[in-house]
Amino acid sequence: MNNTPRVLNRILIGILGIKLLAIGVLLVLLASVPAVGVWWHVWAGGVLSFWLDLFERTQFPNRQGSWLWLIICFVLVVVLALMVAWIAQQGKGRTSLLVAEEDPGDVPGNVGIGGGVAEQTLRAALADRPDLAGVTVAAYEIRGEPALKVRVEPRQGVAPHALAAEVSSLIEALDAVIGKRTPVLIHIGSGARSRFGRAERVR
Amino acid sequence: MSQDTQNAGIGSGPHDAGAVPGSAPLGFGAAGMDRILKRETHTSRAVVSVIAAALVMAVCGYALLETAVRAIGQPPWLVDPQTAAERVVALPAGIGPLLLVATGAVIAMAGLFFFLNAVLPGRRARHLLPDRRAAVVVDDEVIAAALARRARLAANVTQQQVMVVVSRNRVMVNVRPTSGVPLRPDAVLEAVRRELQEMGPWPMPEVRIQVATAGVVGA
Repeated sequence: MNNTPRVLNRILIGILGIKLLAIGVLLVLLASVPAVGVWWHVWAGGVLSFWLDLFERTQFPNRQGSWLWLIICFVLVVVLALMVAWIAQQGKGRTSLLVAEEDPGDVPGNVGIGGGVAEQTLRAALADRPDLAGVTVAAYEIRGEPALKVRVEPRQGVAPHALAAEVSSLIEALDAVIGKRTPVLIHIGSGARSRFGRAERVR
Repeated sequence: MSQDTQNAGIGSGPHDAGAVPGSAPLGFGAAGMDRILKRETHTSRAVVSVIAAALVMAVCGYALLETAVRAIGQPPWLVDPQTAAERVVALPAGIGPLLLVATGAVIAMAGLFFFLNAVLPGRRARHLLPDRRAAVVVDDEVIAAALARRARLAANVTQQQVMVVVSRNRVMVNVRPTSGVPLRPDAVLEAVRRELQEMGPWPMPEVRIQVATAGVVGA
């Protein structure tokens, strides 16, 4: 539920995939089909001579060399920066505030309740349960609205619907404490701790 | 044999376009909740994106190095860009055909991996559960473990004799009976079905049972 740019990911991965696929198929065809080799010589030779001509026409006025190399350097730096920006977009969207509202009382100012409040209370409430291997609570911002994600890892064999009902009743209690209904997602998952830990045999 | 497994295939099954989790019977009807559920049941492709970006960065970084070296008129590190381009144009020559085919195949495979990752729906092995307050997403592995436990109790066998595989539309219960002890598949099936009804996952899978012909001795 984080704000990873999913459509962008799909588009960019798709473009890269198609390009790599085309290059790979071209290499295989070049090695196996002679006619493709002939076509490649003509086509790629034309492209190369176009670029060599371009380099010839872009010489520095008073010394040897083409300034096109600097342009290419610049373009590559831009591409590198874009890739770094793309990576930085992954997994964004965590927020620290669960509630941030203006105080309607006499004293001017805002009231903010941190996501740590929800995390600490839920963790404390679920701490001594033997059927859970782990609890993680995180606040995310979904379209400007804070939302809570509760990830619980039950041990093997725990009925998920019963667990979900118990966690959601805890969340209703949390609603009463905080005084605001935030959207909540409960994720009942399995991790290494629940998979390799002992199964919940008796309950 | 482990007690439960689950399969996490990327996009199996033909019907995916209309299967938006928003039509699930959920108690919480906030505006952003459909979006959250959609995002939770589909992979974000973050890992693949980082791999792709790293790949592009590596290629561009090397190209930048050689281009910069060329731009300031220094000798190249590995290969001059112009020489590289000339070699690429001359391609079937200058390299063994077997090596060329192998390189092409590897690059095409990598391309196919990225392409399929982008095109396939990328559903995660998760189901939704109804709840009056929160949206609930459950890993199929957890459902499988719960159903395996119920099947084990109904069949009166040990933990190792039951394996449950939960996929999007089907629950497969595999039971290996104890040798000499009769096992009623209908009773086990009924118990698992009732547990699943109680759980109410969306989409609701269909339960099948498979009793192994060979029993387990001394279990």
